[in-house]
Amino acid sequence: MIKVTDLKKTYPGHVPVHALKGVSFEVPSGQFVAIMGPSGSGKSTLLHQLALLDTPTDGQILLDGIDVSGLSESRKSDFRLRHLGYVFQEYALIPELNAIENAFLPLLLLGMKRTEYRRVASDLMARVGLSERLHHLISQLSGGEQQRVAIARALVNRSKILFADEPCANLDTDNKGIVLRLLRKLCDELGQTILMVTHEPEQREFTDRVIWFKDGLLIKEEIIPGEMRQEALRNGYLTDKSDGNLMNL
Amino acid sequence: MAALWPDFRAALFLFYKYVTRGNKGTLVLTIMVATLAFVQINFISGILSGAVNLIYVQTKSNYVANIVIQPGKDQFGYQQEYLTQVDLLKRKINAIPGIIGCSSRYTAGSIITYDPDKTGKDVRSISWPVQSINPVEEVRVSNLQNFMVAGLYLDASDRDQIMMGREVAGGYGAALEVQSLKGADVGDEITVNYQNGVVRTYTIKGIYATVFPLADMTVFVTHKEMESVLSLHDRASEILIKTDEAYPEDYYIRELRRAGIDMQDIRPWQDFIGLVLGIAQSFDIIKRIILFIGLVVAGVTIFIVIFIATISRRKQIGIMKAIGMKEGIIIGSYVLLAVFYAVVGICLGIAAIELAVKPYFIAHPLAFPMGKVSLLIVRTEFLTSIISMLAVSVVAGFIPSWRIARENIIRAIWG
Repeated sequence: MIKVTDLKKTYPGHVPVHALKGVSFEVPSGQFVAIMGPSGSGKSTLLHQLALLDTPTDGQILLDGIDVSGLSESRKSDFRLRHLGYVFQEYALIPELNAIENAFLPLLLLGMKRTEYRRVASDLMARVGLSERLHHLISQLSGGEQQRVAIARALVNRSKILFADEPCANLDTDNKGIVLRLLRKLCDELGQTILMVTHEPEQREFTDRVIWFKDGLLIKEEIIPGEMRQEALRNGYLTDKSDGNLMNL
Repeated sequence: MAALWPDFRAALFLFYKYVTRGNKGTLVLTIMVATLAFVQINFISGILSGAVNLIYVQTKSNYVANIVIQPGKDQFGYQQEYLTQVDLLKRKINAIPGIIGCSSRYTAGSIITYDPDKTGKDVRSISWPVQSINPVEEVRVSNLQNFMVAGLYLDASDRDQIMMGREVAGGYGAALEVQSLKGADVGDEITVNYQNGVVRTYTIKGIYATVFPLADMTVFVTHKEMESVLSLHDRASEILIKTDEAYPEDYYIRELRRAGIDMQDIRPWQDFIGLVLGIAQSFDIIKRIILFIGLVVAGVTIFIVIFIATISRRKQIGIMKAIGMKEGIIIGSYVLLAVFYAVVGICLGIAAIELAVKPYFIAHPLAFPMGKVSLLIVRTEFLTSIISMLAVSVVAGFIPSWRIARENIIRAIWG
């Protein structure tokens, strides 16, 4: 579970920018939450603070009951490796590594044995529909495939919380559908907690709840009805060319 | 240590991928620069070492052997002109284990005159010391007999024969013609006016050329002839001693003193080539400068390559940190890459030196004023260049990767 209390982030400068002005909310385990709002509203800044990529100016963050606000950089790094997953907007894979190598990288860092981390990563790659692409270099994968590799990498360490920063921003309609269904499935079947920043209103229909931001403040919350989710899973982001197998990952 | 293994394994994994999947052109060019820098360091160092070594070998083989005993001061503190009881001294010297041989010499100042056409119109004179040798014992001390370019080496019984180096005779490629007899050759007669007033006419029996100017600037008559000129017996101006190379000269000097040769002036060969030693010291400085320049070239090249690699992978490095990779792993992977460039460069450099450069220069030595110089790779200098290159590569890999790895994740990923 995530508990955020009076979180503030100010970027210093001649004119300090108050990106987060005291944000408080909770996310129970296993919930898929969309964070939405206009550009500059503080969505990504919030995600960076929660994923321990940045240090908040003030406030408290509890991740699974652990106060991570005051952790040192090395402790943060270790916490990210063991407990968190992060999917970036632009795939963010290592081009010198092939698909499965990108996916098992966190396990390698955790010191797992070679056979073990290859097996775990292969299983996960099959789960995201890439069992045929394990040894392809990143440059040989489509945008959607790259994003699925990134999701596999974010989950390979059995992360408690998955953060996704506009994961569909650079994808075509088909791939958006694939990635959103995959995230939904992870939440439903594995009980994965997911926080996803997005600016496309249709994407929120795949989630359980939406937190709306404006000017660094949480302005409202929205619960997505189950029927809307089911409808999104049935028809959202489908085109004539959509591959049925992939859509049912 | 076991706790560090996962980090090292991860760094090793990334490094391996950078090498196998990175830009091959950059890899090849960087290794090539490292190789050339290594070869250049060791080639120039090897040539200079070869030149210095040649000077040392020539000095020991053809000039003053390993140790020279000269007259010391008597019990009243007066400088003696000659060594006395030379036969006894030589017996004592030869009894010391490790001493290969010794040879006594007289030296007498003289004016040497050469009148090629015997008309008095073109008389060539030089003021030059004449030395005497006992050819039988001399061959155990010097190698002059192997460098005869004309005529023959002296025999012990020769009385009216003289032997000289090419720098005194002139010709045969002599480098210092100004001080020579300008073309005296075997069979020609020369007149020697000794300092004590004795005048002798000799026929040139042989001319030698070691190509080492100091050795080629000597004139020899036999010991018997010189004792007749100087009316001396069982004396010598100096005794040259040849030792094996098992111990340094200082060891044998101590042994000589222990054997009772303690009133004489005993000096190692280095004392007789002060000017040349200065050149050798200058060569050492040049070698250090070359080493420094070579290391800077290799280091800067590797630094630039790693710097560009880290700058171009700045976002990736941010992402690696974002997924929990420690800074040490990122730095380690680039340090390994830098060391890899250096190690491969060194290996290829060693191969190039051993398989191409060294054999070539052994077959085609360079002509230097002191002789033909080949490549001499001194083990300590060779190891120094390897260790220095590795150390430089570590620094060249560490600094740029450390700068990028410690950057804020957000700034690294999103600029």
